Amino acid sequence: MADVNITVDGRKLTAPAGTLLIEACKSVGIEVPSFCYYPGLSLQGACRMCLVEIAKMPKLQTACTTVIQEGMAVTTASDTVHQARKAMLEFVLQNHPLDCPVCDAGGECELQDMTFSYGASESKLIDFKNHKDEEQWSPVVFFDRPRCILCYRCVRVCGEGMDVWALGIQNRGALSLIAPNQDDHLECEECGMCIDICPVGALTSGAYRYKTRPWEMNHVSTVCLHCADGCKTTLGVRRQGSGNQIVRGDNRDKSGINGDFLCIKGRYAFDFIEHPDRLKQPLVRKNGTLTPASWEEALELVALRFREARDTDGGASMGVIGSSRTTNEENYLLQKFARLVLRTNNIDHHRTADFPAFVNALSGRAHATASMRDVLSAPAVLLIGNDPTYQHPLLAWQIRTNVRLHGARLYVVNSWPIKLTRQAKEFLQIPEGAEDKAAAFLAGDDSAADALLTSKTTREKLAGFREKLQGEQNLVVIFGSELRGQELAALVRAAARGAKYICLGDHANSRGAADMGLYPDLLPGYLPLSEAARFGEPWKSVPQQPGMDLEAMVAAGKERKLRTLYVVGSNPVARYAIDPFALAETFVVVEDLFLTETADLAEVVLPAACAYEKSGSFTNTCGDLQLLRKAGDCEGVKPDLEIIVRIAELMGFDIQQLAPLDPSGMRADFGESRGVQSGEVDQQAIWNRRQGYEPRVSPFNPFAVLKEIQRVVPGYNVGQLELLSGNDVHTATAGRAPGKTEADRFILPSHENLFTSGTLGRYSDVLNRVIEARLRLPNEKEKEIAAD
Amino acid sequence: MNVFSGLAALAKGMAVTFKEMLSPTIVENYPDGPGPLRGAMFQERYRGVHVLQRDENGLEKCVACFLCAAACPSNCIYIEAADNTAEHRISGAERYAQVYNIDYNRCIFCGYCVEACPTDAITHGHGFEVATLNASSLVYRKEQMLAPRPALQGQNAVFSISGEEQLKAEREHGGVGRWIE
Amino acid sequence: MADLVSHPDEVRVVSKRFGEGATDIDRYLALDGYKATQKALTMGADAIINEVKASNLRGRGGAGFPAGMKWSFVPKQSPKPKYVLCNGDESEPGTCKDRLIFEHDPHSVIEGVIIAGIAVDSHQGYIYLRGEYRYLIEIMEKAVADAYARGFLGKNIFGSGYDFECAVQTGAGAYEVGEESALMESLEGKRGIPRIRPPFPAVVGLYGGPTVINNAETLANVPHIILGGGEWYASLGTPKNGGTRLFCLSGSVNKPGVYELPMGYNLRKMIEVAGGIWNGRKLKAVQPGGSSVPVLTADETDIPMDFDALMKAGSMLGSGAVVIIDDSTCMVKYALRVMKFYQHESCGWCIPCREGTDWLKKTLIRFHSGGGVRRDIDNIQYLAENMLGRTFCPFGDAAAMPTISLVKKFRQEFEDHLEGKPCPYEDHGKIEHLPVLTAWDHRTADPWAQAH
Repeated sequence: MADVNITVDGRKLTAPAGTLLIEACKSVGIEVPSFCYYPGLSLQGACRMCLVEIAKMPKLQTACTTVIQEGMAVTTASDTVHQARKAMLEFVLQNHPLDCPVCDAGGECELQDMTFSYGASESKLIDFKNHKDEEQWSPVVFFDRPRCILCYRCVRVCGEGMDVWALGIQNRGALSLIAPNQDDHLECEECGMCIDICPVGALTSGAYRYKTRPWEMNHVSTVCLHCADGCKTTLGVRRQGSGNQIVRGDNRDKSGINGDFLCIKGRYAFDFIEHPDRLKQPLVRKNGTLTPASWEEALELVALRFREARDTDGGASMGVIGSSRTTNEENYLLQKFARLVLRTNNIDHHRTADFPAFVNALSGRAHATASMRDVLSAPAVLLIGNDPTYQHPLLAWQIRTNVRLHGARLYVVNSWPIKLTRQAKEFLQIPEGAEDKAAAFLAGDDSAADALLTSKTTREKLAGFREKLQGEQNLVVIFGSELRGQELAALVRAAARGAKYICLGDHANSRGAADMGLYPDLLPGYLPLSEAARFGEPWKSVPQQPGMDLEAMVAAGKERKLRTLYVVGSNPVARYAIDPFALAETFVVVEDLFLTETADLAEVVLPAACAYEKSGSFTNTCGDLQLLRKAGDCEGVKPDLEIIVRIAELMGFDIQQLAPLDPSGMRADFGESRGVQSGEVDQQAIWNRRQGYEPRVSPFNPFAVLKEIQRVVPGYNVGQLELLSGNDVHTATAGRAPGKTEADRFILPSHENLFTSGTLGRYSDVLNRVIEARLRLPNEKEKEIAAD
Repeated sequence: MNVFSGLAALAKGMAVTFKEMLSPTIVENYPDGPGPLRGAMFQERYRGVHVLQRDENGLEKCVACFLCAAACPSNCIYIEAADNTAEHRISGAERYAQVYNIDYNRCIFCGYCVEACPTDAITHGHGFEVATLNASSLVYRKEQMLAPRPALQGQNAVFSISGEEQLKAEREHGGVGRWIE
Repeated sequence: MADLVSHPDEVRVVSKRFGEGATDIDRYLALDGYKATQKALTMGADAIINEVKASNLRGRGGAGFPAGMKWSFVPKQSPKPKYVLCNGDESEPGTCKDRLIFEHDPHSVIEGVIIAGIAVDSHQGYIYLRGEYRYLIEIMEKAVADAYARGFLGKNIFGSGYDFECAVQTGAGAYEVGEESALMESLEGKRGIPRIRPPFPAVVGLYGGPTVINNAETLANVPHIILGGGEWYASLGTPKNGGTRLFCLSGSVNKPGVYELPMGYNLRKMIEVAGGIWNGRKLKAVQPGGSSVPVLTADETDIPMDFDALMKAGSMLGSGAVVIIDDSTCMVKYALRVMKFYQHESCGWCIPCREGTDWLKKTLIRFHSGGGVRRDIDNIQYLAENMLGRTFCPFGDAAAMPTISLVKKFRQEFEDHLEGKPCPYEDHGKIEHLPVLTAWDHRTADPWAQAH
């Protein structure tokens, strides 16, 4: 679009035609205050704070609704404008209670800031203020009408942004009030966006109310540990007792891939950390019962038994199961531990998508995967299977926002009219389980059409749908775990012309676990076992035969051939409904946060730190790599990385070959966050000295591991500066995954929804308390036990 | 001439001396004086150990807004907030201070916290005998600083308290603005 | 049916058929009914617009925008359907002219809608009645049904090949919906809240289509202009203010009612038309255009009643409701009465209007009952002045303008209420003594509890 020249306060500026005056002013650093204007939401002109003088206009004009025009001369700093702002604040403060000392928003309240900058120093009010008692709309949302300034941001973000429309306006005039459309409570997705967007303290979070004040917290930007979308969440952390306690989760830092968005899990579901059932001490089975033990005792026992098994029956008798919730560094180190220390390829994890086939189909095509940001700007999106609104909330937000703001065309293929069909240009309803056939049809296989016909889907419709898709440039194709193997490959090969793809896994680091080679037959980066040597000298000893997958491990257990099983942050017993007696003779070691069904069978249970309690990196399902930052502390637990290294060390392995010792890795947790008083720093230094290392070098340094990953894993060679500054970096799929053309039969989708998150969800009070978690009738798939 | 002016000056000086010799002494006889303060006397504005005030209903005035902690230049105030409920009501507003500690190792008695307090909950009392042999006993808890009863309007609980009442308060609550060993 | 008033000075154009039984379609046809529509069908769009432009017909709703010019803004070609709206949401206190038109001459409004439709090539009209005018719905619906039955509405009207549909709709009783874009929102089934302008209704209006929206009286004048000619109509009034106007004279007069007088008729004479001030009292003030315009004191009343002259005098012609106030009225109470209305009717969309009217009402209630302090007087003026011109729609101006003029012109009366004195202009027994609460009491009131 052509550029338009305007003058603001005597400064000339140029902006594209169609820009709003308020945005044009902002672009040159002139602040025009406003409450109701919010970028990306519809215009209101309701708060009248952004009134400015425009030459040749008799009245003051709202900058938020005025589109700039050539030659416009604007004044934002005249006495009239200042008086107008002051008066608006006097008006809005008429009924606004002066309870800032107890208000949760105090300290980060836009009304406070504006009153400070533009308001009157004294109140003219003599009369009483209108009062209405506080209401609770849901376990997590409270509403205080007197504090509300009626900017309608919450109504708009709920309706336009989330497409939920749970909030409305009742009454008129001074009695206007924001109210839930469902009687007196909310029935919505409980995302809490209304709380986040509220400029004042009218909407407050039930999880954070009256706990502390914003300036009392440190704000740590990290990555949400629940679903696979990788939202950036800001955790408010306060020192309490022996360490840092997470008090609040929100979306202060809007620089992440999620922009304004955060769902219920990212915002509130950190409360499992303080669940009373959280494991805080290692457990060792003595006389048939798990009894608390010291870390030394537990680790020594594990090392001893692992060493025995390896030295007598060899690595083939040992199994390792990784997690899709631990960091890339831990997963990388775990498979390295299995392959180098245990000398076995018996390593697997809970697979939720056919990433190897995806990578295989994409081999040779650079830049063919879409990042989460691409979904927001793509001209067209094809969604096959999955229900992103419930399983990938951020993805759904990106698609919705793209359709709303940029007019993207959304094509949906699903067996069910999912919520996103409201935004869809075309919806193809297919019989349940026919997603693979749909992919084959879209890839050009006309014989697949027969399996797709329903009462709503005719042959003509199918053909028309395919034709429209073929006309789309730069399409982003998104598919869930319904597509595997050859159909997936066929689809990826069929759509060309700049098309990009996203394969949807289910957990926070499902993609990372796959990328880091938690497969019995694939090395990190989906490389074949024959290429182990490229990872370095020690890797030459890695066995060339593929190891046992999870199913084979259980079968071996039944035959008493599996001597040890090392389970890191996973719950295969519940998730795969494994017969508990299959592992009766196996020495099972489990690292987890809670006593899961698998941990219940274990000989040794080691309490692990969750992703909010450690540093590292996650790769979201699109392949966007982001850094985790340590936010909270939990006494007694250790990060998985440290546990793995300690076991290896106790087994007599030269840990320099396992964990890289990089003195430049400054961000390792030496325990500084817990303070010098705990003595942890000193212990670390003594330990290092004893091992002959430099005192400042830590073998538990995730950033040193990340450096190694960047060096050796194909596709992960991304800019470190970008990562360290907190940005998301898209990784390439440079691996090859040879021979991965058959559908992976071990894929088991997690079927999480907005209110479940595996084991963590079971122990999250908030997720269990919101009524939607109970109201939503679970479909057959969701009845499966939540695990992992 | 010089002699006379010298004598006059001398007489003037000595007059002051003799006048003061005859007037009663104002030296404070602390700690051997009478009353619970043992002879110590204060200006009203004296900034001693803090007193946390109660409102006219006997509820704590502090609403745990953390402004004192924010204003404190020596970072000696630690607060943990909690929710009032209908059954368990501590303060007049929605929130109260579950934990309110002042670390007198660090406190410089600047009075910024009192300035910052929007509810006039924290005030300076006249407690001054804070010396101790154990530094950790200098972290005063809320219970040690809380006034036993509401002050009259515009008054500080410490100012309006009589000696007898203060003794009683000391017996029952461990003192007003004082420490307990 | 209300009794009709008359006066020899009246020039009957719109009110020509009042009291003639024109609600019956046969009677209406006998009184030259639907001749204008048939003529308009032969004239063509441009000729109609030129005729209306020539008539100097200005909008009768309050703003006084020339009707012909408004119609000419509608784009000739539009991908979306165009609409004609008749604004019958007559809610301005003191105004009761549209009611009489709907009651006595409903077909003239329908004719006006059809002619406006022909002028802008629209095929759908809506007549929007005020929510409180429930009893007029039957009349209007019968008139529309009769017109359909005769083929004056529907497909191929008057055999001309032109299609025109028309429907009657009521609001839910909100003053704010008299604002044109709020009316469209209401008609679409949403909350009656004004829209951001631009775009103006002539370009993006009802359901996103170009829309002509006119006051019922404006549209009722159109058939007469088409039949009598624009120049004839213009000659009835003053230059730039064509034709006659229904003036609703109310207040302290002996014969209140709706009189059709030419534009530019003298305000003093107008009071005499209504039978003079009652009970031999003296004139104190006049609000010449409904409750939302600045008041004129008795000394200022010697002026012609047209848009431009009143604008010059610092007031407005508004909707033609002339409220006459005698010297027994307390102007503080008058200000309170006006502000109570605006506080009740504010839609609450924007801050200055929602909070300003609420604040002013609270202050005026306290002030009138004797709890006023000196700085309240300046404060009332301050609040009203800061509402003026800064609200989302003209509602804020409507609430602010009379208040400012009352404080400026009758400051002495405000000062008489000061220092605990109850209203000196009233029978003291009648005053409701409201408790005077102050912000420092930390006492608050819950108006929501009272509202439900």
